[in-house]
Amino acid sequence: MDIPLISNQDVYRNITLIKEYHENMPRGQAHRLALEYLERLGLGDIAYKRNPALNPEERFCGMLLRAAMVKDAMILIDRPFRIIPHLKDIQFITTALKKIDDLYVSCHIYDYQWMKEKYGDL
Amino acid sequence: MAFWESLGHRVIRMLTALSGTIHFAGKVLLRIFQRKTYNSATREVLVNQIYFTSVEILPALILFAIVFGSLLIGIVFTLLKNFGLTGFVGHVLMGLIVTELSPLLTVLLITLRSGSAINTEMAVMKVSREINALETFRIDVIDYLVAPRIISGMISIVLLSSLFSIVLLVSGLLFSWLIFGISLDVYTIILLNSTNFSNIFITLVKCAVYGFFITLIPVRFGLRASHELTSVPIVVSQGMVNVFAAILIIEVLSLLTKLF
Repeated sequence: MDIPLISNQDVYRNITLIKEYHENMPRGQAHRLALEYLERLGLGDIAYKRNPALNPEERFCGMLLRAAMVKDAMILIDRPFRIIPHLKDIQFITTALKKIDDLYVSCHIYDYQWMKEKYGDL
Repeated sequence: MAFWESLGHRVIRMLTALSGTIHFAGKVLLRIFQRKTYNSATREVLVNQIYFTSVEILPALILFAIVFGSLLIGIVFTLLKNFGLTGFVGHVLMGLIVTELSPLLTVLLITLRSGSAINTEMAVMKVSREINALETFRIDVIDYLVAPRIISGMISIVLLSSLFSIVLLVSGLLFSWLIFGISLDVYTIILLNSTNFSNIFITLVKCAVYGFFITLIPVRFGLRASHELTSVPIVVSQGMVNVFAAILIIEVLSLLTKLF
């Protein structure tokens, strides 16, 4: 939540921004890549939506994919249940992480001790 | 004593703000000429900004130029005829309307539309921590947000001011035919004889300088917003007041340049 999606850009533009800026990837190639990754998460339909139009799960996935676009990405998720408050357990997040596990080097989730039961055996 | 103290504080604040703006302008100008500023992302922002600033405003600008320009030219030509100054038609058209009024009216229109939008956009991005998000991903705010907007401002003012002048010259043709009975050939010769190319060059440079400052100042003030929503209207009003002051200063400086 501290690094929100850029609200005057579509979700796919938020995802492609890192590749276009740091790797000078052509717009068309970056666009196709973003759509492919969104499809992996079953969220191809949010590509042209903007941040305010997203539900918490969609927003989380958009932020996750944007973070994964960094070269040799090390993803740090700080209190995921603050981003998606109505989740009963961590399964949605671990499933999303598994679907894109080739895009990042490591992922760390930080949360308060009293949230431990929501994480189960993780 | 209190009066002098408060006056001194105001002057110091004003000079500090001015030096800050000049420093920021220098930094941005340097980036504009650096090749590494331009990547796929910044090029896309530049194209979008040119579209927002130059293309979307076209219908309003052309309509404004036709209505206001025709009125103005009609009044000026009637006055010239009444005072027996028909021989000065060309000089009035080129020296006053094309090189002075067109850039000024264009820059006022763009400032009202795009300057205020840029100022608010930057302030809202700061408040909602989107600027922090860009910095977290090592995306330079000057490269990605500021430079494309400023280049687009410079290009837009030069092009739109030229278009404004063309519309006014066409109005001029119509009115010179109606009021003085001047034909197209004669009108063209009058215009060419009255054209001072150094003045046109100064006008184009002035347009580029206008474009630079009417985007730089809103960006600078927008980025000065705090993380409180209440800071948005404050920085927007400060930014717009400063933009209008800058327009006046540039106008006076350009007049001085033409005098000497």
